[in-house]
Amino acid sequence: MPVRFVVVACALLGATAALAAGEPEFAITIRDHQFTPAEITVPAGVKVKLVVDNQDTGPEEFDSHALNREKVIAGKTKATIFIGPLAPGRYPFIGEFNATTARGEVVAQ
Amino acid sequence: MNARAAVAALLIAATYGSAAHADPDDYVALPGVEYGERELELRFGTATKSGEERASAASLAFGYGLTPWWATEVYAKYHRSGSEATRFDAIEWENKFEIGEPGQYFVDMGFLVELEWANDRAEGYELRVGPLFQKDFGLVQTNFNFLLQRHFRSDEHEVTDLGYQWQAKYRWRPEFEFGLQGFGDVGKWNDWDAHDVQTHTVGPAIFGKFPLGGRQVFKYNAALLFKASSAAPDHTLRAQLEYEF
Repeated sequence: MPVRFVVVACALLGATAALAAGEPEFAITIRDHQFTPAEITVPAGVKVKLVVDNQDTGPEEFDSHALNREKVIAGKTKATIFIGPLAPGRYPFIGEFNATTARGEVVAQ
Repeated sequence: MNARAAVAALLIAATYGSAAHADPDDYVALPGVEYGERELELRFGTATKSGEERASAASLAFGYGLTPWWATEVYAKYHRSGSEATRFDAIEWENKFEIGEPGQYFVDMGFLVELEWANDRAEGYELRVGPLFQKDFGLVQTNFNFLLQRHFRSDEHEVTDLGYQWQAKYRWRPEFEFGLQGFGDVGKWNDWDAHDVQTHTVGPAIFGKFPLGGRQVFKYNAALLFKASSAAPDHTLRAQLEYEF
């Protein structure tokens, strides 16, 4: 019984990996330690994909407690960040390495 | 050998390579990896059980996010039992592999591989491997990990144990989050011990994070665990402090 339990639990949890689907995509650029656009409107109740293009030479960390995301993006690279499905509302995010200038919000509506 | 073959080989090694139980300073591993992040980590735990001496453990570690999907960390582990002097216990090499991106799938996943070299050669080596899972429900974050543990080249009878870790926390504010944590071992992975021999603990936990400017961040989490089975320690106090830079 224990073996069956472990195998079934792992299989069920692992099988969820196959459930990825195409998500609406939104682009964000980091340049001069600022996000552009600084406000992104996304549909509520839907998982979306943020493609963050860090055009600065140094790394930046996309950080949002509201979205529960932390992602380091090396300089001159892009990163994909999946968020949602979100309830309607505003979800602030920052570039943690340059938090005074790199600030933005995801607006779900 | 590709990554999938390496993981399969490690699982087979853990399955067919003595009973091992979580140290008092054990923590709930998370599936995420932060690329390029360096961290200094201090873990501490102390456990009491009626009729037995207090057992305490501490670890000091340095970690680094080598790639966007692989973080590695080396621990120096110390142990103290009762009134004995604190002694160096082991060196542990932890590797965590993130599978996919957070939020990409229904459940966020990672895989943990730990190899421990005990200072006491009679304890041999310990391998601990297993999948890490995370699922968010709004502001509630849940984690559950299955971990297989096995000693190799030890004087003890070598079996593969199944352990688990879990937590559920309410992400109230970055500086203060709260919830529950639990740890347990059920015995041999395919022939579980009777419940009164298994160890299960559960209790309240707190978490938090303080940005210190630039890349520097201080993180903490701590829990007070109570026994949920008769073989478990009556009380375990555990804490983890991390300085990221």
